[in-house]
Amino acid sequence: MSETGHQQADTDGAIDFEDLFETAPCGYLLTDRDGRLVRVNRTFANWVGSSPEALRGKRLPDILTVPGKIFYETHFAPTLRMQGRLDEIALDLVTADQRKLSVLVNAAEARGAEGADVQVRFAVFMATERRGYERGLIAARDKAEATVANERAESELREQFIAVLGHDLRNPLASISSGIQILAKESLSERGSKVVALMSGSVVRAAALIDNVLDFARGRLGGGITLSLGASEPLETILRQVVSELQSISPDQEIEASYALVEPIICDRVRIGQLLSNLLGNALTHGAKDQPVRVDASTALGDLTISVSNGGAPIPPAALEKLFQPFFRGHDRVRQGLGLGLHIASEIARAHGGTLVARSDENATTFLFTMPLAKAEEPGE
Amino acid sequence: MTIFTRDANGMMRDAPDSQRTLDRLNVRIGGAGHRTMVFAHGYGCDQNMWRLVAPAFESQFRTVLFDYIGAGGSDISAYDADKYGSLEGYADDVIDLAGALGITDGVFVGHSVSAMIGLIVARRAPHLFSTLVLVGPSPCYIDCGDYVGGFSREQIDELLEFLDSNHLGWSQAMAPVIMGNSDRPELGDELTASFCRTDPDIAKRFGRVTFLTDSRAELGAVDARVLVLQCREDIIAPPCVGDFVQRAIPGSSLVTLDATGHCPNLSAPEATIAAIEAFV
Repeated sequence: MSETGHQQADTDGAIDFEDLFETAPCGYLLTDRDGRLVRVNRTFANWVGSSPEALRGKRLPDILTVPGKIFYETHFAPTLRMQGRLDEIALDLVTADQRKLSVLVNAAEARGAEGADVQVRFAVFMATERRGYERGLIAARDKAEATVANERAESELREQFIAVLGHDLRNPLASISSGIQILAKESLSERGSKVVALMSGSVVRAAALIDNVLDFARGRLGGGITLSLGASEPLETILRQVVSELQSISPDQEIEASYALVEPIICDRVRIGQLLSNLLGNALTHGAKDQPVRVDASTALGDLTISVSNGGAPIPPAALEKLFQPFFRGHDRVRQGLGLGLHIASEIARAHGGTLVARSDENATTFLFTMPLAKAEEPGE
Repeated sequence: MTIFTRDANGMMRDAPDSQRTLDRLNVRIGGAGHRTMVFAHGYGCDQNMWRLVAPAFESQFRTVLFDYIGAGGSDISAYDADKYGSLEGYADDVIDLAGALGITDGVFVGHSVSAMIGLIVARRAPHLFSTLVLVGPSPCYIDCGDYVGGFSREQIDELLEFLDSNHLGWSQAMAPVIMGNSDRPELGDELTASFCRTDPDIAKRFGRVTFLTDSRAELGAVDARVLVLQCREDIIAPPCVGDFVQRAIPGSSLVTLDATGHCPNLSAPEATIAAIEAFV
């Protein structure tokens, strides 16, 4: 140990190990196998407001906080004994004037020659700042977790509300629909027939909207899009039905449809119908009114593809990226619905193990649904 | 691993059910003998706690090591906050385990909180264990009237807060991987990687049950022979608590080990083995 207590090197440049031990910028402790301090450096003694002599013979837990003592006895000491070493253990020391001093401790057992008694070496590092920082991080994490939990609860409530609302809207709509059907069988004036046709179209649109809302809410509530797969009924019938329904709502717009469905298709017919209905509804709403909307459904090269194209102004690339997000609505807010149709369509595609992509340029905007005909695995939810 | 499928009355038990119990508690069976010795670990650790002690009994006993749910290799998914909200839930598991292994007239060696769990088992199913070895038992950690548990209520609250806030790195220390390499050839690599692995959330709850339960009412006459093993110096279960336990169980014996700390099974395995051997 040097006289001045400052780290010194002698003239040869050799290290004064005694001084290095005593005044190193970290605490050094040696204990016997019972954890009794046999040697303590001055750095450590200064930290805890004591002297190496006064600390000798004490056990490390004697200068720890109560949680530290219990942690030391139930975990630290046994683990050290079993593993021979332990690193970066956070502990709080209690100083002579009863202050808490946060430290990090590394410990390693050292066995003397010819099986001499086990000694344990500790290196102790001040960690006050770091501990403050960690507490801040934990507080921030707890706050973030609380916020997320809160928002999740709120959004679940909102979605439950949507689900209930959507469900409750179906009943009056069903009454209106049967009313319209009864009226349609009466002899009506030309004007009356026109109004009934318009009402019928509105009912179809409202029903589609409710379906989408319910699917969306169900997806968010964990139900997902559920499929009932089948292969018996021809898909073409359903697709034709969807096209004619939507044609009846937009009688003035031309829809060119072609079907080349030659291979057997295993899919949820109603869902694929819903997908086409959403895509076609979208095309009829946003496409140029003076250009035909094209629907092509075909099976080829092991895939089922359904594409829907319309003319008109192209979709800007930025909007193209977001089309399938729920509640996405372009600039044209007046003519658009909730912004769920394309989202649900893409979810239906996904549930079938397929894809739905959009392309848009000066010539046409096309939505292309592709699904493999032979699926290797179970379809997703 | 040998699976015994007869319960205490010699009835065949549903074997798959027994197997599930053994898997859930990560049961390891060693040795052979007419009697079975079950070693139960304490708070903060797992069955590895007994690694230096259990092998000494393998020549005379069938030895059984296990992990409580939440510790070591147990099935954490089997953790049920209600069931394990009291020591009774842990005792249920010991009783199930003994049933699954067809134990009667066994030896139960319980460290720390397991000593109290052993006494609950002795009260509820006295036929399972005829010998209890209580290592560092404490029926109550908190001072109360004339009773000295070693800690004040405030100090235990500070511990629980520490477990809740976790800021001393308890959770990290409990995390699975602690880099392990040592000059301890008797310990496999597999051990150093998993020693005292404990799920932090469960550790918190188990800590609450361990340190807040007052089991003094469990002390009293039991059918089994009881040995209390006390460390000379132990701040968690001080000698006065060991004396209290011994006095409160009529006919029990007390042996004070020349050991410091709360884990003589690790710090003084030879003395621990000798004391148990002399008693059983």
